[in-house]
Amino acid sequence: MILVVLDHDGSKLRKGSLEALTRARKLAEALGAKVAGVLLAEGPAPVEEARGYVDTLYVAELGPYTAEQWAAGVLEAAKAGAKVILVPSSRQSRAYLGRVAYALKAGLLEDTLDSWTEGEWVYATRYAYLNRVTQKVRSGLPAVLTVKPNTTPLAEPLGGQGEVVALSVPSVPTVEVLERVQEEKKGVSLTEADVVVTGGRGMGSAEAFQKVEELALLLGGAVGATRAVVDAGWRPYAEQVGQTGKTVQPSLYIALGVSGAVQHLAGMNKSKFIVAVNKDPEAPIFKQADYGIVGDVHQVLPALIQAVKKLKD
Amino acid sequence: MKVVAVIRQVPDGESRLKIQGGRVDLSGATLILDQMDEYGVEEALRLKEKHGGEAVVVGFGPERTEEAIRTALAMGMDRGVHVVFEGYADPVTVAEALAPVLKEEAPTLVLTGGQQADWDSQALGAALAEALGVPVVAWTTALELEGETARAKHDLDEGAEWVRVRLPAVFTTQQGLNEPRYPTLPGIMKAKKKEIRKVAFQGGARVEILEESIQEKARLQKVLDGKDPVAAAEELVRLLHEEAKVI
Ligand SMILES: Cc1cc2nc3c(=O)[nH]c(=O)nc-3n(C[C@H](O)[C@H](O)[C@H](O)COP(=O)(O)OP(=O)(O)OC[C@H]3O[C@@H](n4cnc5c(N)ncnc54)[C@H](O)[C@@H]3O)c2cc1C
Ligand SMILES: Nc1ncnc2c1ncn2[C@@H]1O[C@H](COP(=O)(O)O)[C@@H](O)[C@H]1O
Repeated sequence: MILVVLDHDGSKLRKGSLEALTRARKLAEALGAKVAGVLLAEGPAPVEEARGYVDTLYVAELGPYTAEQWAAGVLEAAKAGAKVILVPSSRQSRAYLGRVAYALKAGLLEDTLDSWTEGEWVYATRYAYLNRVTQKVRSGLPAVLTVKPNTTPLAEPLGGQGEVVALSVPSVPTVEVLERVQEEKKGVSLTEADVVVTGGRGMGSAEAFQKVEELALLLGGAVGATRAVVDAGWRPYAEQVGQTGKTVQPSLYIALGVSGAVQHLAGMNKSKFIVAVNKDPEAPIFKQADYGIVGDVHQVLPALIQAVKKLKD
Repeated sequence: MKVVAVIRQVPDGESRLKIQGGRVDLSGATLILDQMDEYGVEEALRLKEKHGGEAVVVGFGPERTEEAIRTALAMGMDRGVHVVFEGYADPVTVAEALAPVLKEEAPTLVLTGGQQADWDSQALGAALAEALGVPVVAWTTALELEGETARAKHDLDEGAEWVRVRLPAVFTTQQGLNEPRYPTLPGIMKAKKKEIRKVAFQGGARVEILEESIQEKARLQKVLDGKDPVAAAEELVRLLHEEAKVI
């Protein structure tokens, strides 16, 4: 069996789950195995939608997320004999899968760009060294893979409705969630967005990000931020791009008032096209940019918004 | 109370990487104590200063990793253990290699970086926790001890949360948790005399690296002058629409 952990927002599957399913079907065909899914949920879960993609769907309602509880859920589903476990890459999935891999004595291939099999080996490509090096890696079976967002075509439903199996997962009471500090979610998710508009310290203030939001909305994209901006409290940490933030790989990345420090580049240097606006022609970000404007972001950004509006009309 | 900070040595993000024979060649690179692990060392020192006890640094990696262990000792850690292994070992194997040492040390808390700057892995903390049969709190930004438990704030995909966790436990560290101190000259002198126990690891890795390459995308670097912001913005939008075809 190839097991896919289906990520969701309580009402529908996330795009990353459909990418993981595509990967799973390819591996399943090569290994002569079936694809099963597992839905782990704090509360409601999109069971009906998920059944459309797999023959067997394991479901468990686990209460508040903890790494221990989610690892226990995956391990319970894997008991049916998972050769490969595929999971959409996210901060949370990568924070519990180390447990799963250790418990199963499995090889862990994180944030994979592509995956395939040869004999009893699973191969993958991935980035390393702060996103600068491409590695080809392999593991024997069993293997646990996380699937990097925006790398794989989305799976189509199968046309039938898979069997639903309720999992009974032992409760692991070692971590108690006291209080969620939920950040406001606006528009598309940063890691899945096809356009990211990031503001840096050069934006000058939290208020100036209204214009960043406006451009992102116009382009159907998400807002990103540098660490300097997050440290200043102008934007939430969930929007930070870079070594300690999120890694994004959109078709278009627009960096406004961003210097281009290596720790920031680590989160966006694989974007298809990079645009930079900076008043300093020597800013390192220009070396990484396909297109750039040397100028004051307070003048260039409103002009950009107007120009995009004009194009859309 | 005993706190263990688990550390590794990695190339400085600013240093240029070379490829030799299909693998990354670090011979010319500046190697440092991983900055993510540094937050763990700093937190271990602060916990010790507040609650007493011992702060131990445990390093994994080739012989040269001793330099990074010395840096942690110079920051103030009491003593070091070095699990010596030449070559590549994936994070799950690293956890296996460190498990006997950590079980013997029996710390109240284990701290390690949220991500490693060489393999871009985020798995070590969770794998260590599984090896020890204790909980893990990932991407910690605040940590307070309360007797048998700790209260911690940590990041999720969207937002953050406060948790209460039973000790012993593993915490992965990152920016925001603290500001790591610099080693002082007396600290560096003292570190030279501190004990580093060497332990060999004979296992083999579960994951193999077959090939490494640097594929830097050649960027177009078309830079426009923004003296006339409206003209520059219109030209940029035209290029993105007609040439790059991304809007
Ligand atoms: C362990 C570690 C992890 C890190 N992780 C991250 C991370 O995940 N993400 C991250 O972003 N950083 C990270 N950093 C920090 C990183 O090193 C940089 O400090 C940070 O990226 C700088 O942010 P910035 O570009 O917004 O600010 P600055 O470097 O201050 O750059 C601001 C830029 O704006 C330009 N500017 C100013 N005013 C204007 C104007 N009016 N119009 C146009 N341009 C203007 C300036 O010329 C300058 O180039 C990390 C650092 C460490 C040590
Ligand atoms: N030690 C703590 N334990 C639990 N909750 C806390 C603690 N400190 C702050 N909070 C709460 O966490 C939220 C965010 O805190 P902060 O990020 O420190 O502003 C606020 O609602 C605080 O009331």
